[in-house]
Amino acid sequence: MIYVEGLSKEYKQFNRASGVIGTIKNLFSREHTIVKAVDNISFSIEQGEAIGYLGPNGAGKSTMIKMLTGILVPTSGKVTVNHLVPHKSRQEIAKRIGIVFGQRSQLWWDLPVEDSFELHRRIYNIQDKDYQKNMDIFLDLLNLKEFITRPVRQLSLGQRMRAEIGLALLHNPDIVFLDEPTIGLDVIAKDNIRNFIRQMNRERKISIFLTSHDMKDIEEICGRMLIVNKGELIYDGTVEQLKSNLSASKIITIEFVVDPGDAVVLENAVLVNDSGIRKTFRIDKGLDSAIDFVQNLSKRYPIKDFVLQDSNIEDIIRMYYRSLEKDNSTQMTKQEKLSVIY
Amino acid sequence: MMRSYSEITKKAFFRNTAYRSEVWLRIFGNISIVFIQVSIWTALLGTGSLNGINIETMITYSLINTSVSMILMNKVIYVVDDKLKTGNITLDLLKPINYPLLLFWDQLGNVIFQVIFTVVPTILITWFLFGLTFPTNPYFIVAFIISLFLALVISFLIGYLVALVSFWFLTTFALDWMVTALITVFSGSFLPLWFFSDGWKFVAEMLPFQFLGFIPAAIYMEKINIDEIVWIIGKGTMWALMLWFVAQLLWWRAIRRLVIQGG
Repeated sequence: MIYVEGLSKEYKQFNRASGVIGTIKNLFSREHTIVKAVDNISFSIEQGEAIGYLGPNGAGKSTMIKMLTGILVPTSGKVTVNHLVPHKSRQEIAKRIGIVFGQRSQLWWDLPVEDSFELHRRIYNIQDKDYQKNMDIFLDLLNLKEFITRPVRQLSLGQRMRAEIGLALLHNPDIVFLDEPTIGLDVIAKDNIRNFIRQMNRERKISIFLTSHDMKDIEEICGRMLIVNKGELIYDGTVEQLKSNLSASKIITIEFVVDPGDAVVLENAVLVNDSGIRKTFRIDKGLDSAIDFVQNLSKRYPIKDFVLQDSNIEDIIRMYYRSLEKDNSTQMTKQEKLSVIY
Repeated sequence: MMRSYSEITKKAFFRNTAYRSEVWLRIFGNISIVFIQVSIWTALLGTGSLNGINIETMITYSLINTSVSMILMNKVIYVVDDKLKTGNITLDLLKPINYPLLLFWDQLGNVIFQVIFTVVPTILITWFLFGLTFPTNPYFIVAFIISLFLALVISFLIGYLVALVSFWFLTTFALDWMVTALITVFSGSFLPLWFFSDGWKFVAEMLPFQFLGFIPAAIYMEKINIDEIVWIIGKGTMWALMLWFVAQLLWWRAIRRLVIQGG
């Protein structure tokens, strides 16, 4: 239902010179650099699929959502949603999609929550019977009952997000875009929202396009994840696959007595984080080779301490992001980047 | 479809009720404006008249002009500006609804609120304090109502156009400042167009701003020739259509270069 091929989006970013002279100069001439927010990305999403779209800040996640929903025009490439080109049929597509932005609100700030639902019903032209049915379900599952008559400005963040999500699903959309829906919520509120989204995805076959920095959101809701960085797609596969690739591996952090420098290059181990005398490695062949690794290493360099841990997705992603930041200067090929994950 | 727009107006109306203290301040502000203008014109005209305009006429003029200025929608600039700055325009654009119409019906909710809670009380109080004349000819009454509608539409379109220009500049303050100045001068809220010199009168008549105050007031006071009214209303309609056309054109260009700020 979503089809993206070779999609790119470039922004002009104006370089602002600083200082008084620079400010004056800015008034008359402005130099710009082209920033590629989305760089030649291709993927497709079937009806009922739940996608986690993951990437560090500034990776182009929001830009992708905006292009998929038709409020940004791509610089190049093809994109269709329900066989329609989003920016050409924005209003048409809008009828079939739901949106939740963790950092923005669709609710009318000064009015009771129910007023926003009432208005949404008119704007999306929802039949009375569907409206009643969904309201009954949402009032119960999202526990909207306790605050539906209160003005939005009086709600807690958790309550507001529940209302936002209910609103986004009120018109039975085919796909829901969730841009960091659990940001700033406590553990219970997060659970609540994840369960609801998962249930809607399973029962109603609503496609989910989720961006989040919370790996747990993605693990619990999405079967498939796409990882992007600096505009490029660097992983497209199931969450399971990523996990199984990682489950055999161990993360080992070693504290050396003196920094051995970059000289530490070892077979079966990937250096994932380097902060001088503290270096973190990933070892792909389980516990035995991890012990071998430490033994071998200690023969060559004096070791002060070491910590061994199982890798979970969050750690790997975190280290992965860090390694990407470092690679800024030394341009890695896409294959090399992927090898950090696989 | 109509149902969704009228619902927007209704919600916008109730949104205004959240800030009730503003109502009193506005009524007080309006009466102050009328009072100041009445004082100035009393000092200038005394008991005499100028170009056939006496103090009674000017009281009515001040009141109508001030009241019309209360229902103008050019401040829609700030709605769009705020949405652009915060990036919340995203959410409006993701609704299956025409964006300018959404804005218009939203503004209409504000206007209805203004009429009921500030314009009507202002008129009643001024009537009590200074006296007021009413139109008697039904032809003028109908024309006056049409001219009010034109004032709504033209002021909305001017505000909306400036807001669209801000898609390029991402700032509106200077533009709004200019528009506000143009409205103040050419809608006749400082000085009725009757007192303009021929050159400036010509300029005023070439611009759409006269429809935002002077024309409704002049029609209300039956100061326009009956056979001229159709021509003037036709001219106002042409302005509305032209502004609408330019707005549509700019909209298509603006949306292509839309940069939504903040994530």
